[in-house]
Amino acid sequence: MDTNQFNTQILVLSDKLFRLAKSILRDAEAAQDAVQELNLKLWEKRSKLDEVENVPAFTMRAMRNLCLDTIRQQRDEDELPAEVEFVEPNPHQQIEQKDLATRVRKMIDGLPELQRIIIRMRDVEGMEITEIAYVTSLTENAVGVNLSRARQKIRERIIYEQKRVEETVWKR
Amino acid sequence: MNELLEKYFRGETSLAEEKELKNYFLSGNVKSEYAPYRALFEAFDQEKQETAIIPQLKILPRQREVKHFWIKTFSYSGIAAALVLALWTQYPRSERDYAIIHGRRINDPEYAQKYAEKKMSDVNEMLQNGLKPLRDMEALKENLRVAARKNGTVKDEIIELNKTRNTNN
Repeated sequence: MDTNQFNTQILVLSDKLFRLAKSILRDAEAAQDAVQELNLKLWEKRSKLDEVENVPAFTMRAMRNLCLDTIRQQRDEDELPAEVEFVEPNPHQQIEQKDLATRVRKMIDGLPELQRIIIRMRDVEGMEITEIAYVTSLTENAVGVNLSRARQKIRERIIYEQKRVEETVWKR
Repeated sequence: MNELLEKYFRGETSLAEEKELKNYFLSGNVKSEYAPYRALFEAFDQEKQETAIIPQLKILPRQREVKHFWIKTFSYSGIAAALVLALWTQYPRSERDYAIIHGRRINDPEYAQKYAEKKMSDVNEMLQNGLKPLRDMEALKENLRVAARKNGTVKDEIIELNKTRNTNN
């Protein structure tokens, strides 16, 4: 892969890779570092990229693996909690998060790693199930199950929030 | 719409059907019964707008081009000198043999051979000296890369690299 091909096939994926890394690491700065690191690694191994059939899917998979390695390393160094569960925002936070869409994004962040990256790869990036299966090293069936669970959980939380809002309105 | 929405939550919709749902929920003309789900598709749309603030690694191709330029220049010079020497030493000697050096006709084959050997030696020295800054740059690049992984960004790396390159030039 020459310079031009690297620019047009790899560097153009930076935004997509950043969103995936951010979804896994839940930190924009760490996600940017991860994308830079991956770009450098791929540049060093650019001669081997010609053999790759689906470059975007291969790159996304490499991004996920790199992020998971980062998380493992941080866990070993006790820098990161195992998982961050979605916590119902307190009244003060609710005022800050007036926008329900912002709250939905936080709900997605509260999902387990596989579910949150699968729902984002499908609903944000518009990826095919086969591609998601390749990136996550799961079967297509397992991807479907995780996607369905992720959507159902978000649906339940949206409905729950909606009821709370209605109840608040009725009390007034 | 209800059926399509249920299919969506079961994870059974195609990409085309999901696009249809997104278009509907982002259209601003959503029925009140489906209104809570609008936030879901707005959230996806917001996330799609997020972009990475990452400096493009244009420096890498540029370095490569510079490196190739010097390698090509020295290689071609070396090949040319070697050809001159080879032709001169292999060609059958005669009284009419001569070489043109800097526009002067040289009839002494020993002088011409020594001249060609000297030029080849110069080219070799230039090649060694000329590539040294590039090797230094490679080492510096590697160090910066390690540092960037730990602390900084490639932006700083590029600035430092450019400074070093300017100093070398």
